[in-house]
Amino acid sequence: MRSSTFRTGTNMLVFLGPASFFLVCLLLAPIFVDLVVAFTDMAQTIRINEFTTKQFSKLVRASEDAWLGFELRSSFYRALSLSAVYIFFTLAIFNLTFGLILALTTTALPDWLGGVYRAIWLLPRMSPSVVYALMWIWVVDPTERGLLNQVIGVLGFSPINMKLDAPIVLIVTANGFIGASIGMLILTSSIRSIPEHLFFAARADGAGSLSIVRHIVLPALRWPLSYITVFQFLALLVSFEYIFLIMGPARSTMTMAMLAYTKTLAPDIGAGQYAYGAAITLILIVIGVFVALVLYRLANMTRLLMSPRIEVQ
Amino acid sequence: MANVELRNLTKVWDQVTAVDGINLEIRDGEFLAVLGPSGCGKSTTLFMLAGVYLPSGGDILFDGARVNDVEARSRNVGIVFQSYALYPNMNVLQNIMFPLRFQETRDAAAQAREMAELVQVGELLERRPSQLSGGQQQRVALARALVKQPNLLLLDEPLSNLDATLRLTMRAEIRRITRELAVTTILVTHDQLEATTMADRVVCMNVGRIEQTGTAEDLYLRPDTLFVAGFIGSPPINLIRLQASQRAVLDVPDTAETVGIRPELLHSAETGLPVTVTTVEPMGRETLVTADSDLGPLRFLEATSRPKWSAGDKLHVSFRSQDTIVFDGAGQRMSDLHAAIG
Ligand SMILES: Nc1ncnc2c1ncn2[C@@H]1O[C@H](COP(=O)(O)OP(=O)(O)O)[C@@H](O)[C@H]1O
Ligand SMILES: [Mg+2]
Repeated sequence: MRSSTFRTGTNMLVFLGPASFFLVCLLLAPIFVDLVVAFTDMAQTIRINEFTTKQFSKLVRASEDAWLGFELRSSFYRALSLSAVYIFFTLAIFNLTFGLILALTTTALPDWLGGVYRAIWLLPRMSPSVVYALMWIWVVDPTERGLLNQVIGVLGFSPINMKLDAPIVLIVTANGFIGASIGMLILTSSIRSIPEHLFFAARADGAGSLSIVRHIVLPALRWPLSYITVFQFLALLVSFEYIFLIMGPARSTMTMAMLAYTKTLAPDIGAGQYAYGAAITLILIVIGVFVALVLYRLANMTRLLMSPRIEVQ
Repeated sequence: MANVELRNLTKVWDQVTAVDGINLEIRDGEFLAVLGPSGCGKSTTLFMLAGVYLPSGGDILFDGARVNDVEARSRNVGIVFQSYALYPNMNVLQNIMFPLRFQETRDAAAQAREMAELVQVGELLERRPSQLSGGQQQRVALARALVKQPNLLLLDEPLSNLDATLRLTMRAEIRRITRELAVTTILVTHDQLEATTMADRVVCMNVGRIEQTGTAEDLYLRPDTLFVAGFIGSPPINLIRLQASQRAVLDVPDTAETVGIRPELLHSAETGLPVTVTTVEPMGRETLVTADSDLGPLRFLEATSRPKWSAGDKLHVSFRSQDTIVFDGAGQRMSDLHAAIG
């Protein structure tokens, strides 16, 4: 009896030990540190003089008229809305819609052609971030040397400066072209796993291509689409590397994640406000957990509602 | 509801020729079974009829009109797949109604309900396919195929996923329903019992070709080829390759290569061919006896549930000459020729 409990114990240690170790060191501990630092005055050095909530009061200010008794300060409000706009459009236009279109079109092509096409879309994900960012910097270069300006120059338009005039469009597009490939891969394999006979049946039943997409393909993609939504939402919420590499610490694209980074670790731009960055990060964590739970709940609802399989006869 | 004709119909995949020049005519309202071993091109033929696969050669004619290039959705063909292929996200009623979405139908729901009643799934309309048993899924698939009143009903091994008892019920059910609706039906199966009990006419296929077309009796008693003789019948026919030693025992034309005799047409007798029993297998009402002889191993059936013989027994077997089937070197039956113990 004792030896079997002992064995269960050692088995757990052996099998779950490494994973638990990484979970604690790389996930729980940083969150805990972040939580503590957010309520301190740590700045420039990693010394703590006092515990305080002043980092949060940098983000909000008391207001008689506001609904909750406080309102967001403009830089924070701006970061929140930029994050929302950036995440929503990247997710909606590229990761979901474009990923879906890519998956639908490439599965309809002959196998080899579909494969080639998909491989091309995977290239940005495979190239190093810096190379990808440099490519975009060249594409949107405001002079005539920029690829975009060369193209529109041929069409007879004068050069544009996307970094100034349409910064959000730029970061949404740059991130989207990378994000679309994940959606494409997951959705492609989901479409592939739909039994061939279902397509045959639908065609024999009189359905055209659009009806087949609507009645056969899309219902089968519900679960992968919700998965992509949750997963990519979280990824976009904390992603800043392409924004930083392409735009630098520009105010026009200062999302929450960018704000946290520039206030703490970014070199040479008034960084080092560790506690302030921690407070912003803490808010990001709370938003992430909350939205993930809500989305997960919504996605899982259909499963919960499905009653068990009954065999009769 | 339609007369169907296949002219030299061919389907070639990358390497394999799945269907190799089939000629066939199906009369209006007929119930035809396509019987053949797995991989012989039955499903491929069916899918070409449905318009899911494009033929590589030859023609498909519905009521005399060539439909090779007519899309699946415009052919008005109902098909039941081996996997049933019910739409998992729709309930039973929605599944049955699905084909009516694409037609101008006045009261789709009422028609679907009526069809559900006909196949006896009227109580299950709200269920999802995953909540149905195999037999129920099968009925729903049948209702979905029939609801648009197709010109042609195609059934691809519809009973192969059911258990033995259910199979018996569904065999009768399918026959009743297709009779009631008088729909031209093609049933594909690798189960000879299914083919012979349900169909007016049976087509026997092998490696993409039609070996023989005829009634169940034709195929059983007068197989055109060695393949048909061997494929149809359980326990299988005795096929005796004629070499010098066999020719010494049998009186048979020189051009013959193989002699076939059904196990139930071979019986123990006072005189005849001497054999030694090797195995005895009681099979319910009958007993299957395997014995060694100068012709090689022979199987014969005795109409008794209590075996008369046991391994090692020596006895004589005999048969009537007109019950033997003789095949030439190419595996073709030589009609009106028979073998006798010489
Ligand atoms: N989509 C396909 N691609 C390539 N070969 C196929 C395809 N479908 C069937 N075949 C081949 O065609 C032959 C006949 O297949 P099938 O018609 O499914 O046989 P059956 O239904 O009689 O078992 C087989 O050799 C099979 O491997
Ligand atoms: Mg098949």
